[in-house]
Amino acid sequence: MRLLFFAQLKDATGCASAEIKPAMPLNAEQLWTELLKQFPKLAAHRTSARFARNQEYATPDAKFSDNDEVALIPPVSGG
Amino acid sequence: MEIEVQLTHELIAEKIPPPNSIGAHGAWLEFRGVVRAEENGRAISALEYEAYPEMAEREIRRILKSLSVRHPCLAAKIVHRVGVIPVGETAIYAGIASSHRGEAIALLAEFMNLLKQDVPIWKVRALPPSSITQPESSGTEKRQPSQAAEKLKSGALSFDEAFAKIRSASQPLPALRAPLAEAFGRVLRETVRAVEDFPAYDRSTRDGYAILQNDSSETFQIVDTLHAADWKPRQLKTGEAVRVATGSALPCEKLRVVMQENVERIGDTIKIIRLENAANVRRRGEEMRAGQTVLQPGTVLNAGTLALLATVGCAQPLVSPRLRIVHFTTGDEVVPPDQVPRPGEIRDSNSILVRGLLQKFPCDIIQNHLREDFSSAKSRAEMLKAEIESADVLLISGGASVGEKDFTRDLLAHLGFQIVFDRLNIRPGAPLIFGVNGPRVAFGLPGNPVSHFVCFHLFVAAALRGLVGAESENFLRGPLASGLEDQPNPRETFTPARLDPAGLHPLKWTSSGDVTCLVETNALIRVPANCGSIEAGDEVEFLPT
Repeated sequence: MRLLFFAQLKDATGCASAEIKPAMPLNAEQLWTELLKQFPKLAAHRTSARFARNQEYATPDAKFSDNDEVALIPPVSGG
Repeated sequence: MEIEVQLTHELIAEKIPPPNSIGAHGAWLEFRGVVRAEENGRAISALEYEAYPEMAEREIRRILKSLSVRHPCLAAKIVHRVGVIPVGETAIYAGIASSHRGEAIALLAEFMNLLKQDVPIWKVRALPPSSITQPESSGTEKRQPSQAAEKLKSGALSFDEAFAKIRSASQPLPALRAPLAEAFGRVLRETVRAVEDFPAYDRSTRDGYAILQNDSSETFQIVDTLHAADWKPRQLKTGEAVRVATGSALPCEKLRVVMQENVERIGDTIKIIRLENAANVRRRGEEMRAGQTVLQPGTVLNAGTLALLATVGCAQPLVSPRLRIVHFTTGDEVVPPDQVPRPGEIRDSNSILVRGLLQKFPCDIIQNHLREDFSSAKSRAEMLKAEIESADVLLISGGASVGEKDFTRDLLAHLGFQIVFDRLNIRPGAPLIFGVNGPRVAFGLPGNPVSHFVCFHLFVAAALRGLVGAESENFLRGPLASGLEDQPNPRETFTPARLDPAGLHPLKWTSSGDVTCLVETNALIRVPANCGSIEAGDEVEFLPT
């Protein structure tokens, strides 16, 4: 699974992207657990960041599987 | 509704034509969001935007589609600029066509609200006023400003300002897994933990006899003999001993090993002659505990760290990719090193210099020479289009003739790079050019070899380290071994030096390109502008090279 980080989340993780290999599809809760294991500094952003799965915001019941592109989207500020 | 969406690093045009539905639409509403000179109450010179481009485009389309159900419009064109946007320039352009003005106005108002709520675009940084608006401090060469330079009106930046811009533009490239044999010099991009205790069991550090730690028996019965690779767990009892070799896995925990030279062996029993204080045992988990972090992301992998990765069984660590680098030399006066230069010509030393400097970084290098004629350079660049487009870093070594800087700048602009700065308030290396194109970076290096050397260590290395996800190298402090005479230096100067146990010896160099001083150089001394003379023994900042 390809993980993408943007804006301040890049500073928290120290990278723009990462790969993880989940054995089975994860729900959002499980994905957070995985993420925090690798990037503990993301904890501060847990309440404000949203997941996107394959370039669309993920629904609350979404499952994230190995061949998905998953982005963690902090609050946006375009325009 | 006809929808067009564009994310761009380029300046958004002053005039954007209305869509083809002209005639059908009675309203063509245009809106430009412009960067203000103030952000959160502080004066700024520019804002830097970042986007998740693929998703941003999809989100914009999704929002427009869903809004057009309630506010039927004919066409919409949205352009959002990303990267560094100077004050006064357009960050977002929206053009909406509809039959009557009401629908377009309503759709635009709601669209802008939703954009600021859902579209993955971020203001990542506000640049302070000095970074763009500072006037040029040394304009000795008269030149026609090229298009890219005019757009940016870049001033002469200090070392710190330029360094900060380069680091923020050079974001870590996606990491990948590589076998240990290919990982040397790459940057670790994950936390590596020990999966088990190391050592995994108590091991003897001597040839001798293992007995219970607190056993004070007179004689011991030898109940077993262990060789180096044996694994024979058993619970020892009082009065029992096991013959062990150095490295043997002990049969249970809470044992000590009596060296063989300190016992007297009689048949199957031993008698201890001398009991040492040392237990002669490496305990389980003494070096690493299961789950313990052994390496942090950002570690540059050297022989020792690779050995540690092998020890903990991390055979395919997540690491930075090999960098892809395209390097062009320019200038009509240079000939290859194996040729005899005619009057007015010189041998090309920059190709091999750059290749050598890049050795520290695992990378693939493509080198080529461009003639200083824009149309021939363009067609050569066209031939190498695929290589240039897949390169992470583009380096262009300047030639020596007047106008070479415009040539490099125009070539970078032609290749889609936005010029971030093109003049520094430092010496040597003042005419350094830095450009970005998405995640890719480019440098136009001033022609002479000393400038190349200095700019590489100060700036190119910082970009490369950013791209691979490593920390930047810090300046160290050390004493001058011989004094630096007072000299007129209105700019911060980076003086080549030799560092040895006595301290730093400043070397003679000239900005006209002596290669000889590079032979001894292993450090750059940072000499502040107008600092007067510095005495031998005084502490200075330096960067090891």
